[in-house]
Amino acid sequence: MDELKIGTNNGSMQYIVIKIGDESYGINISYVENISRMVHITRVPKVASYLKGVINLRGEVIPVMSLRLKMGLDDDVFTKASRIIILKLEQAGTIGVIVDEVKEVVTLEEEQVEKVASDTSQDHANFVSSVGKCANGLISLLDLNVVATEKE
Amino acid sequence: MDVSQYLEIFLDETKEHLQSLNTQILELEQDSENMDTINEIFRAAHSLKGMAGTMGFKRMQNLTHDMENVFSEVRNGNIKVQPNMIDILFQCLDALEEYTSSIQESADEGTNDNEPLIKALNDILNGGGGDAASGGAKKEEAKAETPAPAANDKEKWREIKLTDTEKSLYEAAKAEGKNLYGITVKVQETCILKAARAFLVFKALEEHGEIILSKPSSQDIEDEKFDFDFSVITVSDASLDTLIAAIKNVSEIEDAFGSALTDADFAGIEASKEDAAAEEAPAEEAPKKEETVAQPPAKKETPAKTEKKAVSKPVVNRTVRVDIEKLDSLMNLVSELIIAKNSLVSATNSDEANHNNFSEHIEYLESVTTSLHESVMKVRMVPIESVVSKFPRMIRDLQKTLGKKMELYMTGEETELDRTVVDEIGDPLMHLLRNAADHGLESAEVRKERGKPEVGSIFLDAYQDGNNVVIEVRDDGNGIDVDKVRAKAIERGTITPEQAENMSSKEIIDLLFLPSFSTAKQISEVSGRGVGLDVVKSKIEALSGEVEVKSKLGEGSTWIVRLPLTLAIIQALMVTVGGEKYAISLGSIQTIEDIPANEIQFVQSKEVITLRGNVIPIIRLNDVLDIESTKSPEDNLMVVIVKKGDKLAGLVVDELIGQQEIVIKSMGKYISKCKFISGATILGDGEVALILDANALI
Repeated sequence: MDELKIGTNNGSMQYIVIKIGDESYGINISYVENISRMVHITRVPKVASYLKGVINLRGEVIPVMSLRLKMGLDDDVFTKASRIIILKLEQAGTIGVIVDEVKEVVTLEEEQVEKVASDTSQDHANFVSSVGKCANGLISLLDLNVVATEKE
Repeated sequence: MDVSQYLEIFLDETKEHLQSLNTQILELEQDSENMDTINEIFRAAHSLKGMAGTMGFKRMQNLTHDMENVFSEVRNGNIKVQPNMIDILFQCLDALEEYTSSIQESADEGTNDNEPLIKALNDILNGGGGDAASGGAKKEEAKAETPAPAANDKEKWREIKLTDTEKSLYEAAKAEGKNLYGITVKVQETCILKAARAFLVFKALEEHGEIILSKPSSQDIEDEKFDFDFSVITVSDASLDTLIAAIKNVSEIEDAFGSALTDADFAGIEASKEDAAAEEAPAEEAPKKEETVAQPPAKKETPAKTEKKAVSKPVVNRTVRVDIEKLDSLMNLVSELIIAKNSLVSATNSDEANHNNFSEHIEYLESVTTSLHESVMKVRMVPIESVVSKFPRMIRDLQKTLGKKMELYMTGEETELDRTVVDEIGDPLMHLLRNAADHGLESAEVRKERGKPEVGSIFLDAYQDGNNVVIEVRDDGNGIDVDKVRAKAIERGTITPEQAENMSSKEIIDLLFLPSFSTAKQISEVSGRGVGLDVVKSKIEALSGEVEVKSKLGEGSTWIVRLPLTLAIIQALMVTVGGEKYAISLGSIQTIEDIPANEIQFVQSKEVITLRGNVIPIIRLNDVLDIESTKSPEDNLMVVIVKKGDKLAGLVVDELIGQQEIVIKSMGKYISKCKFISGATILGDGEVALILDANALI
């Protein structure tokens, strides 16, 4: 925790690096409540297709969405590496997102983060608020509130 | 001293007192001579005043104080109860309720002084002749009595050890034209919250100046480590009388004495200091000084802290008062639960031979958890009285605004419901009552013409019916004019004239529950303000209840509200559809039938079955839930017959799992768009199963 605080004080942020397909994405660690292995997801009928259903997280019922479907990619194939990241967002409350793999946690300094101009021609481009540059290449940083609120 | 910890109790009790005042004043209006009622009112007003004072809500205290004065005069027989006085008193109660709700939201009473009300109260007092003076005289009497205690009591503050620090402060204050005062405050011996009183005294003094020293120390006072008096040294530019008056303003303070410090008071320091210096040199002096310097800022901090806390935690938690017996039985059950767990543990440890014992233990465990559930439910139950008891007052007010004569008869106020339901049911019931008063009852002239008694009657009956509580709102008014509703619905385009032909009068009446359907010819103040019957219906349905109406033109109508006893845990039938598990509330299930596939018939191209002479439409759940059924079309159908009001429908499921007690969990706002899923539950294996809302399916 202390480390995190010191980090944010200096204008740097920590991100969890996840993989979806071949691309790496970053999720701001301050939104992350928990990372859970795949559990049974109960389908909820008549909701948007990217909403995979609900899971039981320590006695609470939490909705789970698929980042892949949200981004217009192929449906998830659950593997041993698949994880559900539980996020706590201001507007949407607690939700889980399914990712292909969780890789690492990186700390990005302010100068390592570059804003991207949102490309209106592409529907899902504005999920990515900025791009982070680190040793292992580029990471697209997700704007989670946009990811969670935008409807299909 | 932080009073915010008492806020919850304060709010609870204030509401109780206000409610009792409401009821009692209503009674007083009926029978203005009843001494018992008057005494009861006086007591409630008095405790309200005391409580508001303790919590430092001055405006509330002022208002209740003046009310109490009026009641006290009534009690002494000096003032007669008059209708306009009752009106003013009711307005006062409304104002107090406003204060209370503002306190509940922001821990602050707001800034409304309600001066017109206080003036009106004083006018009543003065109208009663010279009686007001007697109140004042009494106060003086009380004052005259108090200086009696022994003189050394008054001078207690002199016991405070003065040091060089005080002396330098004293000199500085003198230079600024301020004074140092020593004050001893005596708290009434009956006072319960001494620390709270002391805190208020400190607060009052700090408005005028600064407190330098206190005895006992401020920490001890906060912890209530003092008898019935404490002393302070304060520096202030106000006069001693102002300070004493400010202190006496705090309730339950018996008296305060004080005087200004003079040079002579400090003369003693020199002598004692020399003694001290001779013995232990400045070593002792230094820490003492630090201590005294440190104290004033510490003191200043406390009020600031209270304020901050109050702002950051505005919403008070909801509480339920629980009978200690109910808690005892809970405790017993919990111990039984532990025993059951232990026997299960030992059963698993021992040999296979004990295997049949195992199921015995499970049965025991089951019976314990069932009783535990019942007990917890009982703890959460509160009588609906807390909600319905405000209705007589409302009807009284409605009488005046509507100019109709009516009487409210209530039965079954003691019927108990879950606290969450009771909290929510107030508004819908109020709306139904207003509706009955405004639309239902005819004006006095019409009633006379029709040979009905001039005074209209509204009934509110509550009773328990199995696992439901039924609340009926009935009036002997005009009833619902089905033709008028039909005409209106056609005019609005809600239904076509052809549809109207085929609809039964019951179906027509049900149209009233559609949004924005108001048959009131003109919008009055009472109804037609946008909250229609549709809101009533949706609110009751949100509580998993239902509402229906029966009406006979010319004779009146009855609105029947049916509510489940509790919300959190229900008995449900678990079924599978396409391999997925779903729960259906047992409350809505009539029967379960095994129907051969060839018995399905078609009416208007919809599937129906005939069951004991009834034609029942069937709903294939796998279609509704977008999933493949695991059964082939030739198989017999497993049909769960559910009921909503008078309507029946058959839900086709794949398999039955069995009956189970389930705990209802919310699915969160993110996913709540699905209208026939009312919630979710977590099964024994940790999986989530969805709960089907049979009402929404029909």
